[in-house]
Amino acid sequence: MTSLVTARGVSKHFGDVRAVDNVSFDIDKGKILGLIGPNGAGKTTLLKAVLGLTDCDGDLSVIGLDPFRQRKQLMRQICFIADVAVLPRWIKVSQLLDYVESVHPNFTRSRAEELLRQTKVQPGAKVKELSKGMVTQLHLSIIMAIDAKLLVLDEPTLGLDILFRKEFYANLLNDYFDEERTILITTHQVEEIENLLTDVMFINDGKILLDSPMDSLSDTYIELATSGEEALKARGLRPIAESEMFGKSVMLFEGISREHLEGLGEMRTPSVADLFVAKVKEARK
Amino acid sequence: MINHYIALMKREFWEHRSIWVTPIAIASIVTLGTLTALMFAGEFAQELDVAIFGAQNIAGDTERAAVLTGFFVGSSWLFLIALSILTIFYALDSLYAERKDKSILFWRSLPVTDAETVISKLATAVILIPAVTIAGIIATHIVNLIVTSIWVSAKGGSPGTLIWGSVPLLDNWVAAIVVIYAMAVWMSPFLGWFLFVSAWTKRAPLLMAFLPLVLIPMIEGIFFRSAHFAEAVWGRSAQIPIFAGIDMERFFDEGHARMSEEMVSLLAHLDIGRFLTSIDTWIGIVVCGLLTTAAIYVRRYRDES
Repeated sequence: MTSLVTARGVSKHFGDVRAVDNVSFDIDKGKILGLIGPNGAGKTTLLKAVLGLTDCDGDLSVIGLDPFRQRKQLMRQICFIADVAVLPRWIKVSQLLDYVESVHPNFTRSRAEELLRQTKVQPGAKVKELSKGMVTQLHLSIIMAIDAKLLVLDEPTLGLDILFRKEFYANLLNDYFDEERTILITTHQVEEIENLLTDVMFINDGKILLDSPMDSLSDTYIELATSGEEALKARGLRPIAESEMFGKSVMLFEGISREHLEGLGEMRTPSVADLFVAKVKEARK
Repeated sequence: MINHYIALMKREFWEHRSIWVTPIAIASIVTLGTLTALMFAGEFAQELDVAIFGAQNIAGDTERAAVLTGFFVGSSWLFLIALSILTIFYALDSLYAERKDKSILFWRSLPVTDAETVISKLATAVILIPAVTIAGIIATHIVNLIVTSIWVSAKGGSPGTLIWGSVPLLDNWVAAIVVIYAMAVWMSPFLGWFLFVSAWTKRAPLLMAFLPLVLIPMIEGIFFRSAHFAEAVWGRSAQIPIFAGIDMERFFDEGHARMSEEMVSLLAHLDIGRFLTSIDTWIGIVVCGLLTTAAIYVRRYRDES
């Protein structure tokens, strides 16, 4: 497995605030990694460092390049949609395609036009005449027509209704993703992307709380719904989190095998959202 | 490389429609002005006949050229003033608008360096806007000469003699090109300053650009009782070393019944060598370079979040 992004001891300070605090991780080729964290956790700063939009301390390499110092070379091979990266309002769709075609060596215009034909976006329209959903479709059509090794999506579906959101991820998965490509996504709507992730990373206060393939989450984390005597026994096994639901105690265990919990209640794999909440609370203790 | 910059400048052309709308507007105003003047002139039929007769038979080529050149210079000044105002607003907007509408992250998601972007904006101001202006000047000139020719022939004059045989097209146009590009280079330190302010300011770029230009001379005047800054900045536009000295005595010397060829030639009044060898020209280019570099660094290092 080749590592596309390698971070070793990466930090970014703003005065006394450590937005990203001595973080190390690898992102391998062919993965869809969800980067999940609360607001102000350092997600956006970390993404900016990966995209070469901000300088940082430590060793960070993206496709073998130093992102900040070799941003131009990097941008030939990676793409990003940031929640705040709105398309310029004055530009016409056709002008946008002209521009990207002339500055981006890996852009296939016919592909973008083909994708746009499936939407209501007209080539002669100006961006300011399009709805927010259509602007995102336009942006996605351009991105999907770029042969990039890494696609970074920072809250790409913010402010879109559920139909557009579902369609966005369906397009991404069906028409874009393959084993040659890697996608890094951040979003607040974890539930919506949970099923398409291959890997997940939690970040809080600039530190990584969890970095794991989705497959192995079910081996490491077990959610147990229990009550009465069994609940007391289960609590003895030291769950990392506990909450009440419909009169039952729902406990989250880390690194405890299924055999240990057998007979103590209903077991299942926790949702990423629940796991995230538990991990953040644990870190704040 | 060049194609890359052409694409970037095309982008500027799309965004800032005033770059081509302004010259078209001025061309229309000048042409309308000519048409109105010609219409009103119709009321003075007798005087016109005399004037056309005189222009055709008494005046020589040089006198006719002088009059025609006078019209050319007059309409070209309109373009030059509009160009200056346009360029100030363009430069101040060029790196500010993309931050204000938040499209900067989109532009930066493409394989274009900050240096290329900023330089393309400088090139738009120094090369593209003057080129469009020159095209506007030449087009207006031709259209107005044609309109006047039609009118002259309708009045029984000969446009061949009166206009086309006398108008020094090449001299006029080359002089316009030289003056406009010399002006663009001469004023380039201001462009560099505007680009820097545009990249740096969080609000009100126009105010932020001109406030220091007003305050610094005041402070200098109060504390040092001198005016070096004001002279260098506010005096600069008048000091452009492109014009050759005009011999006023000879110009008004009544002994010369006829104007000489070189008197009516615009090019003869320009001194490109003086412009290129003036230290002030080069100081301006260096200042422009430094401020443009500063603008590149601001765009590259500023963290908007």
